[in-house]
Amino acid sequence: MILHIARKEMLEMRRDGRFQIASAIVLTLLCVSLAIGWQQYMAISRQHELARAETRNQWLTQGQKNPHSAAHYGVYAFKPRSPLSLVDRGADNYTGVAVWLEAHKQNEFKYKPARDANTLARFGDLTASSVMQLLIPLLIILMSFSAFAGEREQGTLRLLLSMGVAKDKLALGKALGVAGGLGVLLVPAALIGSAALILASETGSFAANLPRLSWMATSYVMYFAAFIGISLAVSAVAKSARLALVCLLGFWIFNGLAAPRLFSDLSRAVYRTPSSFAFSQRMEAELKTGFDEVEFKKSVLARYKVSKLEDLPLNYAGLSLKAGEDHGNEVFDKLYAELWDIFEAQNRLQQQGGIVAPLMAIRSVSMGLSGTDFAQFRDFSVTAEKYRRAFIDVMNTDIANAPKTEAPHLGDKNLWAKVPAFEYTSPSVGTVLSQQAWSLGLLSIWALAASIAAGWAATQRLKAE
Amino acid sequence: MIPMLQAKDLTKSFGSHTALHSLNLEVKPGEIFCLLGANGAGKTTTINLFLNFIEPSGGQAFINGQDVVTHPLETKKHIAYIPEQVSLYRNLTGYENLEYFATLANGAAVEKSLLISYLRSVDLPSGAEDRKVSTYSKGMRQKIVIAIAMAKQAKALLLDEPTSGLDPKASNEFSQLIRKMAGQGTAVLMATHDLFRAKEDGSRIGIMRQGKLRQVLNTDEFGHADLERIYLEHMHD
Repeated sequence: MILHIARKEMLEMRRDGRFQIASAIVLTLLCVSLAIGWQQYMAISRQHELARAETRNQWLTQGQKNPHSAAHYGVYAFKPRSPLSLVDRGADNYTGVAVWLEAHKQNEFKYKPARDANTLARFGDLTASSVMQLLIPLLIILMSFSAFAGEREQGTLRLLLSMGVAKDKLALGKALGVAGGLGVLLVPAALIGSAALILASETGSFAANLPRLSWMATSYVMYFAAFIGISLAVSAVAKSARLALVCLLGFWIFNGLAAPRLFSDLSRAVYRTPSSFAFSQRMEAELKTGFDEVEFKKSVLARYKVSKLEDLPLNYAGLSLKAGEDHGNEVFDKLYAELWDIFEAQNRLQQQGGIVAPLMAIRSVSMGLSGTDFAQFRDFSVTAEKYRRAFIDVMNTDIANAPKTEAPHLGDKNLWAKVPAFEYTSPSVGTVLSQQAWSLGLLSIWALAASIAAGWAATQRLKAE
Repeated sequence: MIPMLQAKDLTKSFGSHTALHSLNLEVKPGEIFCLLGANGAGKTTTINLFLNFIEPSGGQAFINGQDVVTHPLETKKHIAYIPEQVSLYRNLTGYENLEYFATLANGAAVEKSLLISYLRSVDLPSGAEDRKVSTYSKGMRQKIVIAIAMAKQAKALLLDEPTSGLDPKASNEFSQLIRKMAGQGTAVLMATHDLFRAKEDGSRIGIMRQGKLRQVLNTDEFGHADLERIYLEHMHD
């Protein structure tokens, strides 16, 4: 019975030229965005792979030089991209994906496409995620705004209800009809997307990404279900199909355009970030103070119970460099933690937006599962910074322990090889899910509440008149 | 024999306006009861109450002995409804419409040959069932709805101004179909303002005015002229 209703809804959709055109457009956009995402992913990951090998090679073959010079010479670390980032580029364009690790400094990230983009970029990237987050809900609205209101206007609702069909079954059938119509569109797109993912993945890594992929699929299904439920509920309650359409489009604009803007402005107003200039000014000021070379020298002499630096069992230069690093690291830890805590507070506030706009929830989940959200950027930054400290420490320890001779101390390839290549493993899907628990919870509440609302509206509010 | 359709003190008010005032009537299997009256007499309200599309303000409506308010789905199993504006899904063919509604009514798919035989017995022109309903006349759409009623094996028909907007030939064909179904034991409640059709088809006629059932007549006891006179008397006082 329910399937019978669903089949008729799909048959009507198939015969409706407007639906055909709309879905052709959405399907095309989805495929194009997947193709663009795939092409970009492939290009960037190839560049990363080459650059990774190159930076390692440069490090190992840099020839003989003072270890501190080598520390200044530095290495690049690249944030590995998950193949799923071809679906959702998330914050990568803004946070950047590469960082230069060198002595004395925790650098800011580089390669931020947003920096080079013109104002057109404000309209957003054409990614599969933006098509799914914005255009598919619009399509759902167009498919279902007239589900009940239209039948009432047409007069078929009276005949339908006189058949003795239970209204909840009717609502379920209609929901399945919309879902089926959507499936016709999304299943091919999902197959194309999976093919792109398989092509983009190194052997074996597709399987590793399957949990993330299936969570992502589930999340989008919940998001779409919420829209189907809302559309059917409004259609059952609204006086006319036109009114239903106006209300639903209003919600769509709020959800997709107004709410993201509103919450990003709100989060910036509530949690102010320092300007880039102010941040670096403060960094410079704090680095200059708090470390007193004269005091340090005295304490070293006292610790080793000697009166002259020459009598130290170690090279003072190495000790001083280490102490300088330690002081710098304290400052970096403090300042970056402050800055990033502000970003995270902003993100949390934006995630609260999921209470009124499901887009805010799915956006967060989608980015998280694609590995392109701020939390994973921070995780990578922290790992890269740890690596930087470890490798600078290798250099400084070498300087401290170098034999005391007149000839300048030089590091060679044995020393360079003591520094392992930078490796980074992305957080597990469990970590991501726990970070996204709030948004996932909101998404499921939306889907559930919208379904209940549709059932309630159909059984309690749907009138033949 | 229990009445197929029964109204007991059935009343409906919209705000201060009483659209139907304490209606009592019974329609037995095989009987065609015509509700005759001007617009606003309460005919459509009566049908809507039987369909449970609106809630009664007082009294009860029964179908096959069951209260329509407490048994909204079960009572609808026995009835078929033909509205004044016969609306079907325009983008579906006549056959697809019939199949959809017949399946919903029966809760299971109905054999295609059986559905086609219903279409033949309502005299839908051969081949028309595969055309989209948007190309149909009102008479043709009505035939589809009657075929739906047949597929549903309805024990009662609720007809709301079924012949308005039909040409005389289509109107006559419709009457024949209804009488055939009544002959097979279907109870028919028909709202109309067509005196001629009421006299031709009806077993009994109820004259309604301003929400009240003024008089019930057995059609075989009166001629056309008598009927018109009695009707007009009720309209004038």
